[in-house]
Amino acid sequence: MIPEFPNFIGILSKFFPKNEFFKFLFEWENIVFSLIVIAIIVLFAWLGVRKMKIIPDRRQSFFESLAEGLDEFLKSLLGGSSRKYLPFLGTLFIYILLMNLIGLIPFMKSPTASLSTTFALAIIVFIYVQFTAIKELGLWGYLDHLAGRPRGVMAMIVVFPIFMLILHLITELIRPISLSMRLRGNIWGDDILLAVLAGFGAAGFPLLLVNMVIAVLTAVIQALVFCLLSAIYFALVLKQEHN
Amino acid sequence: MDLSQFFNFKEVIAQMASFIILLVILKLVFWPKMLKFLDERRARIAADFAKIEQAKEEISKIKNDYQAKLDNIDQAALAKIHEAIAEGRKITDEVRKSAHLEAQEIIENARLNIRHELTKAKEELKDKVIDLTIQVAEDIIREKLTQDQDRKLVREFLDKVDEA
Repeated sequence: MIPEFPNFIGILSKFFPKNEFFKFLFEWENIVFSLIVIAIIVLFAWLGVRKMKIIPDRRQSFFESLAEGLDEFLKSLLGGSSRKYLPFLGTLFIYILLMNLIGLIPFMKSPTASLSTTFALAIIVFIYVQFTAIKELGLWGYLDHLAGRPRGVMAMIVVFPIFMLILHLITELIRPISLSMRLRGNIWGDDILLAVLAGFGAAGFPLLLVNMVIAVLTAVIQALVFCLLSAIYFALVLKQEHN
Repeated sequence: MDLSQFFNFKEVIAQMASFIILLVILKLVFWPKMLKFLDERRARIAADFAKIEQAKEEISKIKNDYQAKLDNIDQAALAKIHEAIAEGRKITDEVRKSAHLEAQEIIENARLNIRHELTKAKEELKDKVIDLTIQVAEDIIREKLTQDQDRKLVREFLDKVDEA
C-alpha cells in the first residue's frame, strides 16, 4: 500500500464512516481542498488590493511583487501581448502553487497530487491555447502553421506538410497529458516521500525536515514549470516577433 | 491498469469549474485593480524621474549662469580696481602738478616781495643816509648853501656811491 499523510477529511470519514456528509467530503476531497485554496486566494486577493497606497506596506508589497514578478516573467515570454494572458497564467500559477503547498501543512492535502486536478488544469490550458491559435491565425492559418515550414519541392509540398500536420496534432494532444502527469507525478512523489520518512519516526525527522524544504522548492518550481510551459504554448501560436 | 483510481471525470469537470470561478473572481477583483495601480505608479515614477531630470538640468543651467555672472563680477571688480588705481594716479599727478605750480607761484611771489622789500629798504636807507648826510653837511656848511642845493649835492654824491 502506498503511504500517505492523513488529512482531516480522511480522518473525519474514518471516525464517522456512516456520516453521509463526511463520506461526500471524502469522495470530493480534492475539490474540497481546491475550494479551500480558492477561498484563501480570494481572501488574500481582496486584502491585497484593499486600500492600496502609493507607499506600500508589507502586505501590499508582497502582492505587488507577486503581480509585478509574474508580469515581467510573462513579458519576457510573450512580449507585448503578455498583459492579455497575465490574469489567466498568473491565476494558474498562484492556484497551482498554493495547491502544491497546502499538502505540506499537517492534516491537509495537495489537490495537485491527483491526476484529475492537474488534467483539468492542463485541459483548460489546451482549450485556451487552441482557441487563441484559431482566433489569432484563423482555422486554416492554424492548420497551415501546424503543417510547418519549409514545405520543400515536388511531392514534398504535399507529403511533408501532411506528415508534419499529423505530428503537430499529436504533439498538441499529448501536451495536456505531459503537463498534467509532470505536475501530478512530482507533487505526489514528494507527498509519498514525506509520508515514508515520517514513518521512520524520530530517526527520519532530520531527513523529513530537509525534504520539507525540498518539497517547498518543488512546489514552487512545478507551479512555475506548468505556468512557463503554458506561456510557451501561447507564444508558439501568437503572431508576433517572439515566434 | 485501472485508470479510475487515478482519474475521475466528474472531478475533472468540477476542478475545471473551480478554476474558472477563481479566474473570473480574480479577473474582477484582483488583476485589473492591481495592474492598473502598478501601471499608474510606474507612470508616476517615470514622470517624477523626468521632473527630477528636468529640475537637475535647470539647476545646472542656473549654476552655470551664476558661475558666469560670478566670473563677470570678478572681472568687473578687477576692472573697477584698475580704473580706481588709474584714477588715483591721475589725481595724484594732478595734485602734485597743482602743488608744484602753487609752490612756484609762492616762491615767485616771495621773490617779488623780497625784491620789493629790498628796494623799499634801499630807498629808506637812501633817504636816511641822505637825511643824515644833509644833517651832517648842514652842520658843516650851514651858512653857504640852500637846502635844495644841499639835496642836489648829496644826491649826486649818492649816485656816485651807487655807481661805485
